[in-house]
This record gives sequence, structure tokens and C-alpha cells, in this order.
Amino acid sequence: MEISNIQSLKRIKSLAYVAITIGLIAFSNFASAQGEGLFKAKCATCHMTHKNSTGPKLAGVKAKWAAGGAKEGSIYQWVNNWQTAAANDPYAAEVSKWSPTAMSAFPDLKKEEIDAILDWVDAQPDPALVAPVPPGGADAAGATNVALEEESNSWVWLIMGIIFVVVIMAVGGVRRQLKLATSENEAEAEKMTYGEELRALAWKYRLQVGLVSLVVVISLFVGLFQSLYSINIMEGYQPSQPIVFPHAQHAGINGIDCKYCHNTVAKSKSASIPSVNVCMNCHKQIDGEGKEYAPQIKKIYAAAGWDKEGMKYTGKTDPIVWNKVHVLPEHVYFNHSQHVVVGGIDCKQCHGDMTQMTETAKVQPVEELNKIEGNIKLTRKTLTMGWCIECHGKKDVAIGNGKNGYYDEIHRRLKQDPKLYAQYLNNDGKVTANELGGWECAKCHY
Amino acid sequence: MKKFVYTAFSGAALTMSLLLNSCVSNTDSPGLEYAPDMYRTPGIETFVDYGEVRGREHKAWKGRLSAMTPPRNTIPFYGTDSSEVKLMLPYFRKPNVAFRETHGLYGWDYSSADEYTLAVGDKNPLLLSATTSEAVLTKGKELFTAMCQHCHGEKGDGNGPMVLSGAYAGVPNYVGLAATEGQMFYSIYYGKGMMGAHGSILNKKEIWTIIHHIRRLQDANYGKFDASGAAVVATVSDTTNAN
Repeated sequence: MEISNIQSLKRIKSLAYVAITIGLIAFSNFASAQGEGLFKAKCATCHMTHKNSTGPKLAGVKAKWAAGGAKEGSIYQWVNNWQTAAANDPYAAEVSKWSPTAMSAFPDLKKEEIDAILDWVDAQPDPALVAPVPPGGADAAGATNVALEEESNSWVWLIMGIIFVVVIMAVGGVRRQLKLATSENEAEAEKMTYGEELRALAWKYRLQVGLVSLVVVISLFVGLFQSLYSINIMEGYQPSQPIVFPHAQHAGINGIDCKYCHNTVAKSKSASIPSVNVCMNCHKQIDGEGKEYAPQIKKIYAAAGWDKEGMKYTGKTDPIVWNKVHVLPEHVYFNHSQHVVVGGIDCKQCHGDMTQMTETAKVQPVEELNKIEGNIKLTRKTLTMGWCIECHGKKDVAIGNGKNGYYDEIHRRLKQDPKLYAQYLNNDGKVTANELGGWECAKCHY
Repeated sequence: MKKFVYTAFSGAALTMSLLLNSCVSNTDSPGLEYAPDMYRTPGIETFVDYGEVRGREHKAWKGRLSAMTPPRNTIPFYGTDSSEVKLMLPYFRKPNVAFRETHGLYGWDYSSADEYTLAVGDKNPLLLSATTSEAVLTKGKELFTAMCQHCHGEKGDGNGPMVLSGAYAGVPNYVGLAATEGQMFYSIYYGKGMMGAHGSILNKKEIWTIIHHIRRLQDANYGKFDASGAAVVATVSDTTNAN
């Protein structure tokens, strides 16, 4: 087949177009990938695409500079070294007043690279314009319904009780009227009062009445003792908090260690409730905008004195008054650092698995604690003295492993008294806390 | 008739017991106590402040006095070991005035100089030696896991669980970070950019210990010593201490 010169030229031309188009697409993909990589490596620490952070948002920044009357190319100079740009361009000088935090200099970034970054940023969709789907909305409604049902249950029983009483009285009245009507000796019947009649009735059915009264008296006694036993049982105590704090979100999904917020747990008697500046370490950025929990985070901002719009602290603070959940009586001494550092007890032994706790913190019932893998299984109610004592009797103390001078010394002395050591080990093959004085009254009460 | 009496009685008993039960199921109430005056201290204990003054409860004070910042210029007691005490004395670099608005550090003494830049030459006063190095670095890793890892990631690449879950963004990679160890200390203590000040939750010794671990993350040979006892990475022990 013969092809004329013109035809072949056309063919080459169209081929060239295709090649150029493919090349352009590939290049733009490459450029945007390059822009994303550079943005994440160089800019993302301080800048976000559509939200002000340490630095201003970068979306549309090129257009903004152009519209604001910045000199040609001044934006590239700014990225390379903002001070040079601020000295050369009045608009850049104005921009430098945006925040007291100075921008780092990036002298290595070339003009094309800066363009790639800004083009990639401009290509990103604004998350605020994408309608947020409220997660767990249906679940929350379901939970409320369950709570309402439980609430109304006791009312149902109350109403039923009242109906019972009314029915008893009504039937009693009808019975009396019937008796009066059918009575042969009207005068005698007339004389009987309600009380006398009741007594007569009780005597007539004395066996049944006696049995029922016995049951009632016994159940009253049982109830009395049960309520006496429930005195000072903290299980299930779940005080409402000023901020609905979901532990599952923080310690579970986001993997924050317990010790980050409760940071004195290894140093002090108290595990500490974090001060609001610790909350702000993350929530300075996480403002929950458009999420259902945004009002909760607003409370943190109010407490920390953080002005979200102006991105600055105002200095007007107000403490968050949390309600302490695990409260021990004043005459009990409990030290967190002793248990966590020396004893090596995990938080979940006493507080349960907080990574799964979607509600506010509560005193977990001992049955819940026993379900957790690795926990020492106990039978007494959480936070009672029996519970402490039981654990002191079960928990083995790692003595003589060279990690704790105090226990190493005990180990050394025990070795000098093999009989006592053998006695300690014989019961259960381990040295437990109570054998080292964990059951001494003065350990906790002084 | 008999049946009716039984039903009436059992119904009443059931109602009563349920009523009693519903009284104690209020999760906001800690329940009954044996002797509240023995249980609740009028003195203020950490996070347990009943707002009681001379037998009277002050609702407005309740819970407000127990969690407060220590008074200014007070120094915690760190024992009697002189090298430890020296290490724990207050950090000599001051924050800039700008830290008030950016990191909420109101009420501090401020410096007008750019102290972050000045901190470039500060050296870690916790010296590593062939014998102590691994213990310090193990402790550093432990602290890092508790305090930093959720954002900065186990490997220090800025991909911690918080970043991976999409909750937080913009955590830099330690490898290629321009900051020197003195500047790392300044940043951890007073905060930098989005990162808050961690001086309130970590003491100076802990921060320097963490910095040892960060440098190990940057360079796997950091803190390692060869058979002759010489440091593999030269900058490990420097005699010019910063405090």
C-alpha cells in the first residue's frame, strides 16, 4: 500500500498529538503526585489545605496573593525565605503579621515545585462543603429509647400497685354491702366495724394469713440486710461529667496511652485528671467542626481560653470541674505509683477495658473486670476492702528479679530463712502481696 | 377469694421491692455511706475537694481548688543526688512572648530573643556510656510509647495511630528533621507549631531521655558502643552540658 507524503505527515501529526496528550496527562499526574508528596513532607506540619492551623490555609493562596496586589513571583520568594519577600513586597510584609509564629525558610524548593504544591492544594475538595454524615445517629436514638423504657418500667409497676389497692378496697366495700344486705341478724352486722370485720376475716383464714405474713417478714429482713450490704458499694457509680468524654475514641481508636493524659500515675498517689492544656495538645487542631461532638470540644476551648477563629489563646481560663469516679474514703491510703510501677498492675485490673468504654467512666462491677483477659479474678465487689484484700492475697510479687531494690532486699533476707520462704511458697507456689505485709492494717489505714 | 388475697399480697411485695430497687439504680449517686464525716475529708486532697470550709459546703468552690498549677517559682523535690537535682532545676531558656497566644503560656517569664534558634547548640546533659546507654534508651522508648507515639508513630515517621485514624494531620518525620537536640528539648518543653507545651507533664530528665530515643529513631546506631567502648555515632557524649 502506497501512502502519499501528505497522508503520512497527517498520520505523524495525529500520532504526535496523541503522544503529547498522553505526555501531558502523565506529567500532570506526576506533578500532582509530586505536589502531594512535597506538601506532606514540607508544609503539612504547619499548613492545612482548607483550614487555618499554625499557618494559614493554603487553598486559593495563589489567587489571594494575586488579588491582594502582591508582586509577581513574590510568593515563591516568600516560600524560599519569607524575610526577603517581606522586605521586597509590602503585601508579603502584611502577610507576615498573620501570626507571631515565623514560617520556616525552604530555600531548596524550586518555583516548579512550589507550583506543584499549590496546584495540588487547589485541586483538593473542601471537606466543609462535603455534607457530613452523622455517624452513630441511629444508635444514639436507640440507646435513648432503651433508657426511656427502663425508666417507664418502674412507673408501670407503681401504677399496677395502685390499681391493686383500689381493686382490693372496692371489692371489700362491695363485699361488705352484700353481707349487710344478706345478713339475718341486721343489728349484729350493723355493730361490726371495718376493723372488727377484718380481724374476723383474718381469723377465718388464719393459716394463709400467717404464712403470708411470715413470707413478708422474711422478705423484709432479707431486703433490709441486702440494703445494708449495699452501703458503700460503689459498683455502677457513673457520675455525669461536664464533658461527655468517650474513652473508646481516645484510648481505643486513636491509641493514646493512658499515661499520656493520666500522666502522674507512675509518679504520684493520684493518677490525675488531665489539666486542660493536655486536652489542647490535640484539640488545638481537632475542633470537631461539623461533627456532633463539636459542642463538647467548645467547652474545652472555653476552659483553655482558646479563640478558635483567631487561632490564639486569650488567657481567660476556667477550670473544667470533673467528677471523680473512683473515690476511696479518707481513712484509706491508696497509691497509684506503688501499684502501677512497683506492683506492675495494669490499669484494666481495676478500671476495666477503657479502650472499649464509649460512655463516661464508671466503677466497673467485678463481674465485668473478671471478663478481661489477664486480670486477676476476684469475687468481692469493686472498691470494697474485701476486694483489695482478696487481690493482695492472690497477686504474686516478683521478688529477686533485680528490678526493685526493696523486693530484692526482702528476697535476700527470705533466702536466709528457708523455712519461712518455703512456707510462703507452699500455699500457692508464689510469694503474694499479703505474705510481704499486704494485709497489715497500717499498710492502708494510718 | 384465697387466690385473690395471695395475688394482692405478692403484687404489693413485688411493687415494693421494685420501688426500692429503682431508688439505688441512680448512676449519679455513689450510694449510701456508713459515716460520711469519716469518709469525706474537709482538707483538700487531689481531685477530691468537697468545697467544705469550717463545716459548711461552698458549692462554688467545689472541685475548683484541687487541680491547680503549682505556685510560681516553686521547685519540686527531686531527692538529694546533686547531679539529678542540677538536671531538674528549672529550664534556663525562656519562651518568647508569642508563646502566650500560640501555646497559652500566660504568666511566664519571657525572653525577647529567638530562643529556639539559640537552643541549637544545647547538648543533652544525660550522658550515655557503654554501660548505661541501653538502660537509658529503654527508658526513653517506654516514655516515648506513652507520651509521643500516638502522634509521632512507633518509628517516629509521623504515622501514629492518631494520624492513621484520620483524627490528626501534619506530624513530621523525625528522619530529616532540621532540629538539633537542644531545639527538640525547647520544642517539647514549650511546644512548637501545632504541638502543645509538654513541660507540664514531663520533667526535664524525662524529656532528655525521650530525646535520646528520638535520636535512636533517626539513626539506628545512635547510643551504640563498639567493643573498645567508643561511641559508634560520635556526638553521643558531649561534655558541654545544657541545663
